Amino acid sequence: MDELTHEFVVESQEGLDRMERCLTELEERPQDAALLAEIFRAVHTIKGATGFLGFARLEKLAHSGENLLGLLRDGKLSADGGVITVLLKLLDGLRAILKDIEADDNEGAGDDSGLIAQLDGLQVPAQAAAGRPARAAGVRAASKARHAPSASAPQSRLAPAAEPGEASAVSAPAPEPAVPADAEAAPLRAPAASAAETTLRVDTALLNRMMNLVGELVLTRNQVLQAAAADARMTALSRRLDMVTADLRESVMKARLQPVSNIFSKMPRAVRDLCHALGRRVRLEMEGQETEIDKSLLEAIKDPLTHAVRNALDHGIEPPAVREAARKNPEGTLRLRALQQGSHVLIEVADDGAGIAVEKVRAKAIERGLITPERAAVLGERDLLQLIFLPGFSTAEAVTRVSGRGVGMDVVRTNVERIGGKVEIDSQAGKGTTLRLRIPLTLAIVPALIVRSLNQSFALPQAALSELVHIPAAQAATAIEWMQNAPLYRLRGKLLPLVYLDRLLTPRREPASSADRDRFIAVLNADGRRFGLVIDGLADPEEIVVKPLSAALKEIGLFSGATVLGNAEIALILDPGSIALRAGVTLGAEESQSGGEEEASAATIEYLLVESAGRRTAIPLADVLRLEQVPMARIETIGAGPVLNLDGQLLPLEDADGILCSASPHGRIIVVVCRKAGRQTGIAVSQVLDVAAGGRISQAGAGIPLEGVTLLKDRVIAVADLGGAAAPVAGNGISVEWNRAVEALP
Amino acid sequence: MSAVDRVAPRRRPRASSREEKAAALEEVCSVRVGESLFGVPIRHIFEIVACVRPLPVPLAPGFIGGLVHYRGDVLATVDLRHLLGLPPAAGPQDVLVMAGQGGSFGLLVDAVSEVLAVSQADYEPDPSILDERYRMLLAGAYKLDGKLLVMLDPERLDPLRLETGPAPQPRGKLPAK
Repeated sequence: MDELTHEFVVESQEGLDRMERCLTELEERPQDAALLAEIFRAVHTIKGATGFLGFARLEKLAHSGENLLGLLRDGKLSADGGVITVLLKLLDGLRAILKDIEADDNEGAGDDSGLIAQLDGLQVPAQAAAGRPARAAGVRAASKARHAPSASAPQSRLAPAAEPGEASAVSAPAPEPAVPADAEAAPLRAPAASAAETTLRVDTALLNRMMNLVGELVLTRNQVLQAAAADARMTALSRRLDMVTADLRESVMKARLQPVSNIFSKMPRAVRDLCHALGRRVRLEMEGQETEIDKSLLEAIKDPLTHAVRNALDHGIEPPAVREAARKNPEGTLRLRALQQGSHVLIEVADDGAGIAVEKVRAKAIERGLITPERAAVLGERDLLQLIFLPGFSTAEAVTRVSGRGVGMDVVRTNVERIGGKVEIDSQAGKGTTLRLRIPLTLAIVPALIVRSLNQSFALPQAALSELVHIPAAQAATAIEWMQNAPLYRLRGKLLPLVYLDRLLTPRREPASSADRDRFIAVLNADGRRFGLVIDGLADPEEIVVKPLSAALKEIGLFSGATVLGNAEIALILDPGSIALRAGVTLGAEESQSGGEEEASAATIEYLLVESAGRRTAIPLADVLRLEQVPMARIETIGAGPVLNLDGQLLPLEDADGILCSASPHGRIIVVVCRKAGRQTGIAVSQVLDVAAGGRISQAGAGIPLEGVTLLKDRVIAVADLGGAAAPVAGNGISVEWNRAVEALP
Repeated sequence: MSAVDRVAPRRRPRASSREEKAAALEEVCSVRVGESLFGVPIRHIFEIVACVRPLPVPLAPGFIGGLVHYRGDVLATVDLRHLLGLPPAAGPQDVLVMAGQGGSFGLLVDAVSEVLAVSQADYEPDPSILDERYRMLLAGAYKLDGKLLVMLDPERLDPLRLETGPAPQPRGKLPAK
């Protein structure tokens, strides 16, 4: 395809996307002149270009559409449901031809005469009705003078290809409504023009290449930083290189971001079509359309989001009659919301429909054998809701319905988890359902923990990681229990199936005795499977740049890619979902504790138990981002307090117990990185002791729960107030195994 | 053993001027693997990366020599020693970066020797003296002065096209709980 045609196709598609948005809005505001002008412009632009590009079929269809749109724009016809339906068909028709052109530079041999007849047919009543005062706003009785022709003066001006018969209309006085239409359209056009001057189309392949090169630059920078450490002059230069590299990486990443409006804009049409098909009345509200997300991720969430919207309309929002009977507004509301939260984008699909009947979920899950009746009986409401994400939950009867194309919520979850995201659902019977998709901002760079096994490094995506458990060599024999060759670990009283990474990767080799060295268990949550991955050691958390694996290696299946680490070493990226499958970890609702955040109101909250200068403090696990072990040399004092230079970002440190002053300047300290009022802060501690659930305690006699303290392992422990210094509480107990909470976020 | 052993290293071909006019010259990179020298047409080689220690990939087919870092990408390499039935290399190796069907790949050799200009007129496709194992990988040979330079066929070395035995599929040790 030549450059000109390519440009034409891309621009036309964008125009049609705008037209689609406007059409659905037009349904609510049929008289909106700006909308009509925008739609007219999209079709007109296509028609204008087809002439010299020689696409006759496209021209013919666009011409009929333009005529009809001209009438609408001039207020000679009002845009009722029927007209909009035909215009949507026109949109689909134009899109189909453009697709053909894009595929093989040819319009294809389709027949549009039916559609053209429909478009032309709608113009007839308008022409007939032109004699009497039209309902359309602004059309005066004086319009008698302009009875015939569909084409008005401005249209003829814009469309020189107008039929000869219409040319006579040019001499007619310019119709009033058309002028405000154009005038209103002008401000729309102005920003569009300025956008065109400051923006540039860039091939995504080029952007990917730039991302790759920046990745390599980051590695080179890391090596330069290491090499330059000895030379004072080089240090200053390398610092600068460091900053420039960081800025460049951010800019290139930003270049790949696109607003979610690119997929949100498809929704009004989808909702409209579904409402017609299902007999629903739904108002669609969209919020945060300007939120940006990596282009490839946007593509990846398109299907899950469409599925979620379909589900909300089909199973969520009730038919108008049912809603009225329930004394609800017969018109349901579907709310799409996007917002950025740190390094994630949250996309919410909320309906005010019937909600999910938890008892039905329970019954169906038991019926399908996804869960035992005993277990179902003890599950809470929130845990039961999560069952709808299990494969096989989607019902057979749903297949015949709009939303049930044989796929269920498990597919939504799988798709979202594949790109490192998470799905949550909330529902209240009778009030509605909210589905939340939590998507990382970018795919190219993933936070990961580097782990060691088989004397090499592997990257473990933090999205799947819930905590780490250290098993000292001395305890290895007793801490890991075996049940018919299956290793298990008791994690806070629950049995956790274990997978030895080294044994999984070297199936033929005799397993080395596991009792003689330190081990770590990475507790993973993947695709509804919860298990512990046994590894030999931990290295640093790192933001890794994902590189695809050669096709010859994809068959192995356990690795989702490879990456080059800061020390220029290559590491394979582990795919927790495939590891669980390969190792035969069963699916289960065991991960049901995932609802930790929402259960915060319940009696127990999980805490990270730390010790500093002999005092014990409990830090709410939900607020802990990760632990860092840092050399004292990296801590500096600026202004009011100590700060830590962490990956180029300054982290304010809290040091309530003064351990920074007493620590050796050449030693290392542990910093708990927490969320505090939307920002990150570090708490300096001497030792991390455990992760445990804390209970509430009340003051004797008063019965009011005490703030600031919790009952942890039968001891009263002060809770770190993430707003200030923690109150010291005495206590010395047995040191338990070292649980390290790395990423405790939902 | 076979003809490959008779190729002596580091000798430029001395083609007569008449032959040079009659036939196109081809530039060939000669590489050492074990005790043998092989030739790879220069036009198939993007770049030579010297002295690497590839990262082994667990569970990968045997002919995969591991992963190397190349210009911000991670390349899979084909282990020529494995294909020729030699034991794994003890030290660092050189990598020829080449184009394959599924993107670039690397060819692991013990060392890159030198670049020779050879005449098409001296080319002998598929010399029948080669044994079966080698013939799968080799394209033919150049008859140089007093020796043969056996040519590797880059297309047949593409990891996607190499005869692959099924990668070992370990069974899980964890039964359903």
